[in-house]
Amino acid sequence: MEVRIDGTTIEARAGETVLQAALRNGIDIPYFCYHRSLSISGNCRMCLVKVEGVSKMMPSCNVSVAANMKVDTASPEVQRARRDVMQFLMLNHPVDCGICDKAGECRLQDLQYAYGTPRSRSSDPKHHKRKLYDLTPRIQLDNERCILCSRCVRFTKEISKTNLLGIVDRGGHAYVERNQDAALADAYSDNVIGICPTGALLSRDFLYKSRVWYLEPVRSVCNGCSRGCSVNLWRRKKEWWLRGELGEAANRAIYRVTASDNPDINGPWICNKGFDLHKTAARERALTPMIAGAAATLDDALDAARRLLVQSQRPAALVSSQASSEELGAFETALGRRVKVYTRQDCAPAPGEVTEDGFLIKADKNPNSYDVHARFGSVPLPAADTLAHDLFIVWGEWERYALLGRARVIHLTAYPPPRTPHPDVHIPLSTWVERNGTFVNFEGKRNRFERVFDKPPLVAHAVHVFERLAS
Amino acid sequence: MSSLSKKFEELSSVYPTGTSSSLVLPLLHFVQEEKGYVTQEDAAAISDCTGVPAIQVTEALTWYTMFRRAPAGRHVVKICRNISCSLRGAERLIDHLRKQVGVEVGETSADGRFTLLTVECLASCGTAPAMQVDETYHENLDEAAVDRILGSLR
Amino acid sequence: MSVERVFFRFDPTGDSHSLDAYRGRGGYQALTKALTSMQPNDVAQEVTVSGLRGRGGANFPVGSKWSFVDRKRGVVYLCCNADEGEPGTFKDRWILEHSPHQLIEGMLLAAYALGARHAFVYIRGEFDLPLRRLRAALGEARASGLVGERILGTPFSCDIVVHRGAGAYVCGEESSLINSLEGRKGYPRNKPPFPAIKGLYQAPTVVNNVETLANVPWIVAHGGAAYAAIGSKSNPGSRLFGVSGHVARPGLYEHPTGYPMKAIIFDDAGGVLGGRPLKAVIPGGSSTPVLTAVEVENVTLDAGSLQQAGSMLGSGGVIVIAEGTCMVRLLHVLTRFYAHESCGQCTPCREGTSWMNDILTRIVAGKGRREDLDNLRSIPQGIMGNTVCALGDAAAMPVMSFMRKFGDEFEYFVEHGRSRCDGRLEV
Repeated sequence: MEVRIDGTTIEARAGETVLQAALRNGIDIPYFCYHRSLSISGNCRMCLVKVEGVSKMMPSCNVSVAANMKVDTASPEVQRARRDVMQFLMLNHPVDCGICDKAGECRLQDLQYAYGTPRSRSSDPKHHKRKLYDLTPRIQLDNERCILCSRCVRFTKEISKTNLLGIVDRGGHAYVERNQDAALADAYSDNVIGICPTGALLSRDFLYKSRVWYLEPVRSVCNGCSRGCSVNLWRRKKEWWLRGELGEAANRAIYRVTASDNPDINGPWICNKGFDLHKTAARERALTPMIAGAAATLDDALDAARRLLVQSQRPAALVSSQASSEELGAFETALGRRVKVYTRQDCAPAPGEVTEDGFLIKADKNPNSYDVHARFGSVPLPAADTLAHDLFIVWGEWERYALLGRARVIHLTAYPPPRTPHPDVHIPLSTWVERNGTFVNFEGKRNRFERVFDKPPLVAHAVHVFERLAS
Repeated sequence: MSSLSKKFEELSSVYPTGTSSSLVLPLLHFVQEEKGYVTQEDAAAISDCTGVPAIQVTEALTWYTMFRRAPAGRHVVKICRNISCSLRGAERLIDHLRKQVGVEVGETSADGRFTLLTVECLASCGTAPAMQVDETYHENLDEAAVDRILGSLR
Repeated sequence: MSVERVFFRFDPTGDSHSLDAYRGRGGYQALTKALTSMQPNDVAQEVTVSGLRGRGGANFPVGSKWSFVDRKRGVVYLCCNADEGEPGTFKDRWILEHSPHQLIEGMLLAAYALGARHAFVYIRGEFDLPLRRLRAALGEARASGLVGERILGTPFSCDIVVHRGAGAYVCGEESSLINSLEGRKGYPRNKPPFPAIKGLYQAPTVVNNVETLANVPWIVAHGGAAYAAIGSKSNPGSRLFGVSGHVARPGLYEHPTGYPMKAIIFDDAGGVLGGRPLKAVIPGGSSTPVLTAVEVENVTLDAGSLQQAGSMLGSGGVIVIAEGTCMVRLLHVLTRFYAHESCGQCTPCREGTSWMNDILTRIVAGKGRREDLDNLRSIPQGIMGNTVCALGDAAAMPVMSFMRKFGDEFEYFVEHGRSRCDGRLEV
């Protein structure tokens, strides 16, 4: 149907609200409490518009579009309402911007600049509430910064369904509070940090690590389970790289992880394990190729591995479900017909880790099992005493070579392999943040990740390893 | 079966089916009538029997002014401070009560006898000034009436 | 011609609230007539013809509100709003204390018209005698087959549950009442949808004030046209007006709409205390704009007349203020009230009510500043019309009207650090 907003005719869909139709057509109606994946709250009052024929202004987030409706979002009355709402919101809001992590990506800041007034009309002391405390071990809450939009409350009620948060007390005394049972866990809690329009809810892990304008997001995919949610990994912008010793760590760090909106796979949400990806990516790495336990050059190690393969009569490979589709393709082309392929789901759930839930988390803690299965089927490793291979290419993490029978081992892994016994050849690999690639999730949906950093110098990309082995 | 569960069963038979979340307020009232105040544990117990999330019970407990989170005096004196009562001398009587009971508004007397509170309109505007002591309304007050009422309470 | 009375038809005694006494004055005859010889639509039609408007303060035509309900939706709820909390208003408690069966009969008639199998009375948590009398009356009614299954032996069944509030003025707002009834904080809801479409547990729900429902038996007994002939044409009927404040005889007076304001103050209520001159009148509960003595000269207790004078009929709570009262301190009593009662859900009311109260608190402490007067004029404009419910407007209107009509007292207080009237509230 057709609707007129500020004199422009736009196309609106039945069942939409005025706000949704406007946003979809690039018309900027400001809002705080609205979120397209949460129920309508209509309490911030920032989205008020004038609908022709209605005497009071209406919250556009809660007005359904009707054919030939005429909406005004630019009149002096609407502008005045936005100014008034901003004035009310800023009345008791602490001037914390100088010490608040949200600065630079804060909806309150942005809308205050756009619609507020430079000076407060009040010279009274601001009301104080509880500041800067640990809501959970992962999340910091500051009740003074909070504008009581209720997005976080609606999230834990409607999305994670833990009912972790509520708003208690009345009137100007109201504040966000958590369920008092300390044992109540929410595997998706950190999503409230992203949807909070102010610095009220902040990541404790990221606290004070960097100003956000020094950082940039890189689109990646979480490898924590077979859903493969889209994430943003945040690194330092090139023009803000630090020099010297400080720079060595800072310029190669993933400062934080945020959810990347992917309507096909995870919507706007990820789980806490996804929020911790920067920790998994910062694990201790294997950085030096080894031949028989001794350090070697990458070239030498690749040569040694190739010779082992040429000499073997009954080679096998144990393929990784952490591998990208590009790597699996390279392996299949180079070695698929040359070796007996076994498959596995490398990573098992940690003790106490949520396995499957009705929301995002899947029991398979590997990102590309689907593509492994599609290419090689399911070929689990049988008992060691039945194995008669003389060479095993182990791809991914592995603890006990004895389980591979009496075979030589070429271990391709990004992480330190076992020392005693050591593999015949160890080639350190790049991790997924050091290359571009694709994972295929449990539903067969492909999701692309992009390189965040260059790989360390002595580490190899798996595709090159397979090319060399087959040459 | 605890007295709370018994009350829940009794109320469930009175309220229409499918309205168990409505029982939050009646159960909060019930706990307060039994004990004089409501704790977090009580809120958790109410959450358990009604199926209402615990945080929602806590929200109700903190939002409605009639519920107390801590014990009060043996008698709770609630005097109206709204417009019609103020026009008829409520402020004078509030001052009188503060002196007689020996506390500030919101406090409990040292002997545990009275807690003094100011409240908003009790719908006694035509018989102002008015106060409520425990459940009972007392209207058309003056200092003498206030003293009589307090004096009659242990 | 004797004036028709709907409420003050008897002298209250220690027993006049009983079922026997109510029956003795014709009670439950309307219900019998409706259940045995009228269709639900007939009852609704009489109410529409009567022109009855809501008595809680919003003054909305009752027949229209009922007509929004789609009976075919299955479950329909009726809620009686007995959360009387508007300062200056004390009529609903009279009905509950002295004629509870009149309310019960009205509720049953409404439930019959709406197809409501279940009805609630949401009653002030603070109420003592009104609650006991209502519960006793319901006990009598159930025992006599007037409430419950197959009422008066007809196919119509209706149960009434009494549900206590717990101290929140905002729960008198119908959508707040509904949320409270569902076991939540009394946050009002954004409308649409209106309760008649999606209300209690998302079912069609009608919320009506005690006095509103208590009119229905009379309307069914005498016919809607007879009711429409009482009082003003645009908002007919006989209403319970409460007069309080600086008058010799505060109390409830029943009159048809259109009764002169001066008459209720100077005749019924015996005039201003001590014979003092009248200074101001708040005509319909504390949320209605204040009128000066000059402005009430020719005003009548009628929606149109009061609207023309720049105020509202509201809940019919007339608050009388004598010359010598400090309007600044009086406004502070109100701002303190609204700040205390703001539910906290929406930005303008939550922040605006406590801001206005903070300013008044400072002014009456002698620490007012010039900018406070500008703020007291502009803050209400940021609130009016911009909130989820009318509490925002209710908080804004006293501030706007006091500043407009008595602004010079506020200027004096700010300039001199003290009241021009010795801070007097009592005379």
